[in-house]
Amino acid sequence: MEKPFILHMLTTAKNLSPFDVNMALDAGWVSAVPYINVEPSEVRGLVQDAIFSRSPKGLKRTAIFIGGRETKQAMDMLKMAKNSMVPPFEVSVFADPSGAFTTAAGMVAAVEKALADKFDTTLEGKNVLALGGTGPVGQAAAVIAAKAGANVRIIGRQLDKAERIAELCSNEFGDGEITISAGADADKAEYIKTTDVVFATGAAGIQLLSAELIASAPQLKVAADVNAVPPAGIAGVDAFDNGKTIEGSVNGAVGIGALAIGNIKYQSQNRLLKKMRESDQALYLHFEHAFEVAREFIKESS
Amino acid sequence: MAYKQFVNQLRKTGCQLLSSFCNESVKPQKKEKRSILHMFDPMPNNSPFDINMALDAGFDVLMPYSNVKLDNIHNLTQDAIFSRGPSGVKRTALFIGGRDMGLAVDMLDVSKRAMVPPFEVSVFADPSGAFTTAAALVACVEKELQQKHGKQLKDCKALVFGGTGPVGIATGVIASLEGAETFLVDHLSKETADDAAKEYNRRFNANLKGAVAGSDEEKAALVADADIIFCTAKAGIQVLNSAILSHANNLKVAGDVNAVPPAGIEGIGLNDFGKPLAGLPEEQKAVGIGALAVGNIKYQLQQKLLTAMLETDKPLYLDFRDAFKKAQIILK
Repeated sequence: MEKPFILHMLTTAKNLSPFDVNMALDAGWVSAVPYINVEPSEVRGLVQDAIFSRSPKGLKRTAIFIGGRETKQAMDMLKMAKNSMVPPFEVSVFADPSGAFTTAAGMVAAVEKALADKFDTTLEGKNVLALGGTGPVGQAAAVIAAKAGANVRIIGRQLDKAERIAELCSNEFGDGEITISAGADADKAEYIKTTDVVFATGAAGIQLLSAELIASAPQLKVAADVNAVPPAGIAGVDAFDNGKTIEGSVNGAVGIGALAIGNIKYQSQNRLLKKMRESDQALYLHFEHAFEVAREFIKESS
Repeated sequence: MAYKQFVNQLRKTGCQLLSSFCNESVKPQKKEKRSILHMFDPMPNNSPFDINMALDAGFDVLMPYSNVKLDNIHNLTQDAIFSRGPSGVKRTALFIGGRDMGLAVDMLDVSKRAMVPPFEVSVFADPSGAFTTAAALVACVEKELQQKHGKQLKDCKALVFGGTGPVGIATGVIASLEGAETFLVDHLSKETADDAAKEYNRRFNANLKGAVAGSDEEKAALVADADIIFCTAKAGIQVLNSAILSHANNLKVAGDVNAVPPAGIEGIGLNDFGKPLAGLPEEQKAVGIGALAVGNIKYQLQQKLLTAMLETDKPLYLDFRDAFKKAQIILK
């Protein structure tokens, strides 16, 4: 009898996200086992415990998922998990804290498609404003877009926090190969004048981009919003929009709403979870891989 | 009801053959309940090792319970036994994990006393996998001792390095109960080792002693008259190198449970089973047992004990003593 597929789900929070548990079981993992309140220092012990109880063949049907709330912590835990493997005793690990990596991947992939469809262009060289960009989704989206060649500025209410996060994104997540800048929310009226793309990744129910600002954005092409709770993060973009022209945009910019992004996010997370089940060698998955599969999905469905 | 009406209809119309066929084989079989293993753990999380093992042994559903205290065991046990009926309890079992051998045995005891026959389920204690690891280690060493040196455990002096951790203590207790003169060796403090020895002697009627060895000199002095060396120290740390082992002139068998390089005992390969220790002079006849060789027996052992709970008609209460007996059988 083949061994059952086991996904060990680690989180630093006091509960797993039921979203992730559903996703894991739907992707074909037979058992999704929770480990809660996990301290990063415990990762090594848990990983080595997991890898030594099955043969290398059985380990192909074993994997680890890292949840939690914090991007940096999840990336550190992913690295630690990778370093704890003792080949051939090795399993795949997928980090997706708060679903932020796959959400960000879904958003950037949707934006990329809208740029191609409506403006016949790419992210390369575009000015991206990540509004409310200091949270997990904003961070991952900023890094993914910057790696695709965009000039990204993370906007936060406090400039010093935005600067700190921008530096973290450039150095930690971008391996120093990208440079992400920072800006204060108070100055966004100035930045919007040269902005091509807006990501709105702030807290639910807060408007980050007003109709007035949209009207003063002469080169705005795409505005994407992950917030599904009214009022929308971007005036005139509702949750169902997927490439609809935003009323009042002088440049004919299009909007992408939370549900369109959510659909790609879902596909991206599902595919990565499945990849771990099907892969012959251990995979270490994060936002970059989430973006790859999100692009794949968009390519297949268009 | 619709099904019964359908069968009656068939009878009335004289389709005897078809109707008896319906009665015998088409009648929906009562589905067997899914097997559930409730995993009680005093630690903040269960061990992924045990989770893999339990699912691989055939349990359908695992329920982790973390931060469980001894006081909770009575109620948790009774909660588990009263919800499934006597046939359902046969598809239910309890597993006790954690890091502490004494606590695990206490929990096993409380759980056993909480049963209300016929509402009764099997319970298996294996904190940190220590019982099955220790049982496998001692049984492997015992086998090589008999085969290569014609000796019994009761003829030998045994040292347990890393002797105050969960696997070390369980190894020491099993070896001591089998009659070996056994020392729990701590790398920092004699007092820690003595305390552990005293506590487990009282609990299990063993005859352990404590010892300390931090420096190479202390280790060399300690191994000089040892027949057996068990290494159960932290993974990835070399406790005994060849220079120290060259002083172990009486050494007959050494077993190591550390699978993360470097090995705990130099000269033992991960898969060695009774191979002479590399790097020692020829006149030393010591053989080694490596971590994966022990791990292989431990694995079979834990699997067998888990499966036994699924197959048994009478509830089983399994601790390190049962694990050791079973390990001896596996090795025969």
